Amino acid sequence: MSDISRRKFLQTTSASALLLFSGLSNTQAAPAKSYPSKKIGNIRNLKPNEPLAFNYPDEQSPCLLVKVDNETIGGVGPQKNVVSFSTLCTHMGCPLTYSKGRLVCKCHYSMFDVSRNGQTFQGLASQWVAQIVLRLDAATGNIYAEGVEGLIYGRIGNLKLS
Amino acid sequence: MSLFKRKDSLPIPPLDAEKYTTVCQYCSAGCGYNVFVWPEKRSGTAKSNAFQVDLSQQNQLLSGFSYTETMHNVITRKNGNKYNLAIIPAKESRINKGDYSIRGGTNAQTAYTPTGHTKDRLKDPLLRKENGFVAISWDDAVEIIATVTKSSIDKYGADSIAMKFYDHGSSGLGFEDNWGAGKLFLSGIQTHYLSIHNRPAYNSEVWGSRERGMHELNYDVDDARLADTIVLWGANAYESATVFFTEHIMPNLQGGSVEEKKQEFDAGEPAEEGRIIVIDPRKNATITVSQEISAERVLHLRPNLGTDWILANALARIAWENKWYDNDYLQKRTDMVTFEAYKSKSLQLAKSLDSVLAEAEKITGISRKEMEEAASWIAKPKTGGFKRRTLTLYEKGIIWNMKNYDQVAAIAQLNVLTSNVGRPGTGCGRLGGHQEGYVRPGAPTPGSIYAGGPPKNVDNYITGGGGKIYWVGATDPYLSTPNSKFFKKSVKKRATNLLDYLDNGGIPSDTKAYIAKVLEAFEKTDGLFMIVQDLYRTNTSEDAMLILPAAGWGEAVDTSINCHSRLLRIYDKFLDAPGEALPDWKILALVGNKLKALYEADGNKVMAERFSGMDWKNDAEVFEAGSQEFGDNKATESEEAKLSAECYKGVTHEMLRKLGNEGIQTPVRQDPATGKLIGTKRRYKYSFASKDGLFKWYGTDAWTGYPAEVAKYVDNPAYPFWFTTGRSQHVWQTMYNDKRIPAKLLTVPLPYLEIHPDDALKLNLKTGEMAEVFNEEGSCLALVYVNDATKPGLAFGLMYHAKGTMNNLISSYTDPKTTIPWYKGTKVAVKKYTGKLDDAIKTVSLLSNNDFTTG
Repeated sequence: MSDISRRKFLQTTSASALLLFSGLSNTQAAPAKSYPSKKIGNIRNLKPNEPLAFNYPDEQSPCLLVKVDNETIGGVGPQKNVVSFSTLCTHMGCPLTYSKGRLVCKCHYSMFDVSRNGQTFQGLASQWVAQIVLRLDAATGNIYAEGVEGLIYGRIGNLKLS
Repeated sequence: MSLFKRKDSLPIPPLDAEKYTTVCQYCSAGCGYNVFVWPEKRSGTAKSNAFQVDLSQQNQLLSGFSYTETMHNVITRKNGNKYNLAIIPAKESRINKGDYSIRGGTNAQTAYTPTGHTKDRLKDPLLRKENGFVAISWDDAVEIIATVTKSSIDKYGADSIAMKFYDHGSSGLGFEDNWGAGKLFLSGIQTHYLSIHNRPAYNSEVWGSRERGMHELNYDVDDARLADTIVLWGANAYESATVFFTEHIMPNLQGGSVEEKKQEFDAGEPAEEGRIIVIDPRKNATITVSQEISAERVLHLRPNLGTDWILANALARIAWENKWYDNDYLQKRTDMVTFEAYKSKSLQLAKSLDSVLAEAEKITGISRKEMEEAASWIAKPKTGGFKRRTLTLYEKGIIWNMKNYDQVAAIAQLNVLTSNVGRPGTGCGRLGGHQEGYVRPGAPTPGSIYAGGPPKNVDNYITGGGGKIYWVGATDPYLSTPNSKFFKKSVKKRATNLLDYLDNGGIPSDTKAYIAKVLEAFEKTDGLFMIVQDLYRTNTSEDAMLILPAAGWGEAVDTSINCHSRLLRIYDKFLDAPGEALPDWKILALVGNKLKALYEADGNKVMAERFSGMDWKNDAEVFEAGSQEFGDNKATESEEAKLSAECYKGVTHEMLRKLGNEGIQTPVRQDPATGKLIGTKRRYKYSFASKDGLFKWYGTDAWTGYPAEVAKYVDNPAYPFWFTTGRSQHVWQTMYNDKRIPAKLLTVPLPYLEIHPDDALKLNLKTGEMAEVFNEEGSCLALVYVNDATKPGLAFGLMYHAKGTMNNLISSYTDPKTTIPWYKGTKVAVKKYTGKLDDAIKTVSLLSNNDFTTG
């Protein structure tokens, strides 16, 4: 990857995504043996197409939770329209931005469909983006992250950082 | 909830894992890859591993090291043991610098495994019997082919054997297999009915440039970063030569190569961010990605189908009128005798500029203003009078256009007129589809109609009842040939006639009796004995009499060059081919050697001699044997134009293994002073590839409308849509591998059609529905995407898909000068499909693939 693409990425990526990404690079998380259950939001507070950022399964793995307009594969909620994904592009690790039902990478323009299992419908990423397994507590509306399907970019294993 | 099995961790190769270098099996970019193989039960550690990367930490973005789910597989070798396989993009390759595409990123998934996606690879020669195919030995298969071939040659002549074989590098494998095919068919059998790859004839697709003295691969990847202007003409680089676009074109548009330009350019010469002109009827992703980077430095021209050479000539006329050429260059480097024909026919100097441009506007649909802007981006000198540096790359939109020869010639001439060849940041040629690896004895048809041609149309020959044996290698003409429905119907009928004759009274089990009955059928019927040689069963192989199992990428040592630097590298063997599968060269050699023995037994020395020279022991010997075809390659730097573009004489497999991802650029010359082998970075700095070294001009034809095969539709309201075809980012060729990889088939589950919102409204069609596309040639059922990539009145279809082909709709027209088809243009009707929608639509993404905007 040339230096300019790195610079271009810095110019075009939203400030919030950048903060989330760069602020975590020095964090040392303890090795986890299995996927933790982590409360990441409440369905009653989610606004359509306004993603909520969180880290999972550890502090070095940025993800988002989003309520979209249609039924999704692997979504929770009465409309099955709440889904969650890693926001590291599986191609070369650039941050993904949510817009119009998809995750877009501004480094090489891979795009992933959040309604259809995170499939790369355009671009270079040969691996679909990792999807976060969700559990909805119907009584409280709380949403929990409880697993990851697919490999998070830049890891030999999702739970194998030292 | 995953649609297919996912992994959340990957095995680590130990320090002593086997390591090989290879090049991607797919597109013209030719990205370098490193291959690691290690026993399944062994593992390296996060800190100590063959990748030489610290895997204990979260990898940072754009580090140049990627190891994803799709880059790993578990294989079984012939020793019965299981091994991990990792195929990783090479950071040290100057072609891809660790980058990779959605195609190359799945190389590991294509490896043969006895229980995985590729378990149905062909493992034995298969002979068709009454109730289907049965496995036979190579000995029997070779005896059948050689004996039937010999008898057919002796009785009906060499032209009773027809073939359609790939001639390229990468997935079809390269120089070794092409030399094998050349020796058997061109030296041995000597049939005139040869055809290449998907096409109906044996031809170059760019005689319009070669016959000017300019081979089409004359530039280096660096030129895409150094150019002031890049022109992509009928060439969708982001979706078909992806990493070349992201690593070499995109950085130029972003301004990332300005420092490189300052170092290469002349003192005082302006060096700025690059511009791009994309000439394509469709607003494809190459255009919209470029616009995302910098809309003001992108120009998109959308000519009417078939009219590009008129546009190229109009741009040249504007450059001429503005004196944006170097008269000294034209005088010294080009043939001023043939230049007169160019001036009169292509530039049309007898007519006023206004009348030429008015006519061009009418034919092409491009406004004069757009033409003038494009011409200035291509040719107008920069501040200070420095020549602009323009790299022009064309591909199937031009090659498979109406009037192949004139289209290619017009673009080549525009670039030479404006001195845009042979300097850093310039060049004019193909973007390429696959990689290359052509070395064969001389073809019976050396060139276009102006140079001994045109070549024979094998499709017409076969469908018209010609030939007895038809040997198809690594291509699937039922999907890929133009006018494919008619082709399939005709071949099926002839194959069935042969089978019916054999079946009548029972197909003999004894090989000699079987052969005798085939020969009897040749005499009594128009039956066609079709041999299909491939990795898998194909659509075409359903009507074959014999199917031969071929080794694939990674299962034999081979060599190819990429298109953007002519970089020759080794594609090493790291897999065992399944079952009895053999490399193509080996299969062809078995048949050649058997034919030689049969003719020797006959006492026919002349014929035996034709099949000599195929007794190679290994891949390295085939490579060396092929290199002799290039002749003497002693040449100084300034004599490089005399060498064949793919000349590798003196290079060996062992040398390439040492060079690894670095490779060497063809043509390779032996320096007369030092005797050393030296590669060629950029071509035609000193002279062109003609006898006297001068570029040969050609006066192109005037516009005469559309050929009869398409003209019949032009004013016919029953077929209201112009129709063109192209490729998808995700899948390679006929999807022979990709249809077996779940993520690929889920993403591109069906043939698809793109149609403009205005037209969709009239047809009551929505994205995610299906439509029947049809005309008098045939039909195809397709998934519909409504988007603004097309224009009102223009529809686009995926060229072919494992589940259906748009080539059913394409006419049988070929350019009379070259026998190259017009795959990319016809007219069709579109009708909403009202049957049950395919279930695959429930899981496919229906989002627009040319919209990259956010926020």
